[in-house]
Amino acid sequence: MSDDTAALAARVREAHATGTALRITGAGHWLGAGRPCRADVSLPLASHTGIVEYEPGDLTMTVRAGTPLDALRDVARGEGQWLPLDPFGHPGGTIGATIATASSGPLSAAFGTPRDHVLGCEFITGTGDVVRAGGRVVKNVAGFDLVRLVTGSWGTLGAITEVSMRLRALPEVDRTLALETTAGEARRWLRASEYTPLAAEMISAGLATDMGIGTRDTLLLRFGGNRALVDSAGASAGALASGRDVESSVWDELRTREPASAAVVRLSTSPSQVAALWDRVASIVERAGGHAHATVQRGIVRCMFPVQGDDADELARLRGIVGALLTLGSSVVERLPSSLWAAMVPPAASDALSKGVRHAFDPGRILNPGILGELS
Amino acid sequence: MPTDVAQHATPDLASRLAAIVGARRVLARPSELRSYESDGLPGYHARPALAVFPGTRDETIAVVRLLAELDAPFVARGAGTGLSGGALADGTVLLGLHRLTRIISIDADDARAVVEPGVVNASLSRAAASFGLHYAPDPSSQTACTIGGNVAENAGGPHCLKYGVTLNHVLAVTVLLPSGEVVTLGNADGERDGYDLLGAFIGSEGCFGIALDVTVRLARNPQAVRTLLADFSSVNSAAHAVSSIIASGIIPAAMEMMDGPTIQAVEASIYAAGYPVDAAAILLIELDGAAAGIDDDATMVDSFCRDAGARGVRIAADPAERARLWQGRKKAFGAMGRIAPNLVVQDAVVPRTKLPAILAEIQRIAELHRVRVCNVFHAGDGNLHPNIGYDATSADETERVHRAMAAIMQACIDAGGTITGEHGIGLDKLPYMDALFTPTTLGAMCALREVFDPGRRSNPGKVVPVHSCREWFAAPAARAGGAA
Repeated sequence: MSDDTAALAARVREAHATGTALRITGAGHWLGAGRPCRADVSLPLASHTGIVEYEPGDLTMTVRAGTPLDALRDVARGEGQWLPLDPFGHPGGTIGATIATASSGPLSAAFGTPRDHVLGCEFITGTGDVVRAGGRVVKNVAGFDLVRLVTGSWGTLGAITEVSMRLRALPEVDRTLALETTAGEARRWLRASEYTPLAAEMISAGLATDMGIGTRDTLLLRFGGNRALVDSAGASAGALASGRDVESSVWDELRTREPASAAVVRLSTSPSQVAALWDRVASIVERAGGHAHATVQRGIVRCMFPVQGDDADELARLRGIVGALLTLGSSVVERLPSSLWAAMVPPAASDALSKGVRHAFDPGRILNPGILGELS
Repeated sequence: MPTDVAQHATPDLASRLAAIVGARRVLARPSELRSYESDGLPGYHARPALAVFPGTRDETIAVVRLLAELDAPFVARGAGTGLSGGALADGTVLLGLHRLTRIISIDADDARAVVEPGVVNASLSRAAASFGLHYAPDPSSQTACTIGGNVAENAGGPHCLKYGVTLNHVLAVTVLLPSGEVVTLGNADGERDGYDLLGAFIGSEGCFGIALDVTVRLARNPQAVRTLLADFSSVNSAAHAVSSIIASGIIPAAMEMMDGPTIQAVEASIYAAGYPVDAAAILLIELDGAAAGIDDDATMVDSFCRDAGARGVRIAADPAERARLWQGRKKAFGAMGRIAPNLVVQDAVVPRTKLPAILAEIQRIAELHRVRVCNVFHAGDGNLHPNIGYDATSADETERVHRAMAAIMQACIDAGGTITGEHGIGLDKLPYMDALFTPTTLGAMCALREVFDPGRRSNPGKVVPVHSCREWFAAPAARAGGAA
């Protein structure tokens, strides 16, 4: 345990003793998401940065939780490696927040979500105990899996202070194609194809136009591997629609596309139903002046639309749109004005087991209380 | 804590269980229970008080509810192929799930299946084959082990290098909690906010409850496969070849190493695979995926092996040769049975760059304790399986084997590794948990277990040392005051 971690743990212990609610903060980019978190003071981790251990030959890296994703990316790239995890939002977001919120992006189609990348982590429980879960090796089944438990727990089971993760070698060739096609055609092609893209993201017509990659619904396909494989995959995708190569920076652009003030909702279904979901979502989102994109193989459609102010009319409009979206499938709300959150978003972690877990790790409910919509 | 178990193993309990599952499905006589005294790790023996074998989901629920009512501990067991003593029931009720063998559905369009816990790993892949799909995790025991057991252990296998372990392939599980309550963990049809209780359940070694059904992801059968056999005159050069391949970005479907003693054992057995018997080590490397570009990758792998000092590299010419090369690997543990009457199968992981050093250290430890180690393992993951054949009737030899194993475990921990990559803690690895985790971390594991199983009745005494739990629950105040 580093001195920094010990100092943070002491703060949490004290907060536990005094019943002081803490809001755990990283770079602070998602704090405006509207999540109803009650907290008296903040527990900042943004300065808890730096690489603890990086052995390129092992393709593993251990970093302090406040390390920004882009800093991590630059270091790994120097060794021809990457963490293939591309959550939406600011590239300066921290690894700790990414893991705590289980955030991922288009690359999750091939590489999975944070639970599939994280090998181990250190976290401070709501009683100020420092737990070191998992390890630094790529395969590990020693003991109960506290790593998966804490990943995606939004800080409510512990403040993550250090993360060990698996890296990959950068592909020899990394190619992105834009093809104008429908979600149904895209899904059919992906299901039948011998090629496994690194990412396959449907982009709604309006968003494609804004990004300058097309004028209709567009599939962004990203292939990686050796030259022969990528060429052959590209030729095969040509049967789907005539495509053109686009710069791989298009992916960074997609990550930062949401308006400064926005509502963002992620809907999901089984992959075979994704085209139907896409079609239903499209009409709602278009009318709301928003955009949608979909991680086709995972059955996820992400919708975002601008929010203009917080007057009653605007809130009523949002209520209508979000209400309509939430009926369409499993949902995760990413951003919403805080005044609408409690009314529209059902609490997560409200089942007996989740409540028990929360009580075991944060009996005083001082860590990000309310952030999962739980009743307090 | 649960009440003393022996008092439950009464004719009354047997008859109440028989009323649920039928008299033929309850074993109570010592002679009948003998087959259930050990699992795949033969060094441990413990006799259950009773064994009960429900045939349906409803019977399983009724059995667990009866045991809950009586506050009686139990141990769930699949095929009994586990390698950590995890399925031993010492004087408690053994709950066999191998009769729950229904494949409830296979959905080719979404590439997933829903199965009961007793479905054998390989039979799921066989059933999915007509859709061009398979279940990717492939432990060496796959022709016998069950999906329920795989979930309990978070099982791996050679092909996990590319495809991931059980955790990465399970979408949802319907869990029967030790209380008898049924809950669904995970969501096969989309994302949800909330805790990853499914992730916590997978690999919980039967301590959190029983999987009544499991929804798994199926993988597409690859269009092309290339299986290479590389032959080395030193273990060190084989380990260096592994590092070069991993660093290149090529992700083989599997990359397995066998050392000289293992090769000789396999070649002397009925599983002879045509491995070079004079090699110090071989690598069995499989590439799969789209046909385009696969031969370029094979050429690269070939040259990495030769650069590292391989004497030769050959590619399996046809599916029959490929199957033969793999059978030698998968049956290597069995082949070692020829060498010695008893075998300790070990499981540990080190960072991949530490492979050459740890293999040398294992050799040094073996010489020091005068034991013979055979290494056969998932080199691409750094997941070692150092095995020691011995004669358990010799107390001296048995003692030396135990000392060597303890030294090997400590060496792996010192190298930054872990004490198990896929076999689990069970009983066998309990003594090493204190060396790997802080008391606070072990206490947190106890706290998690307590949520799923407040009475600690489900597979009692496994995974986390009992003293860790006692300390955690005894002194929360002291803990909060001191350093972690």
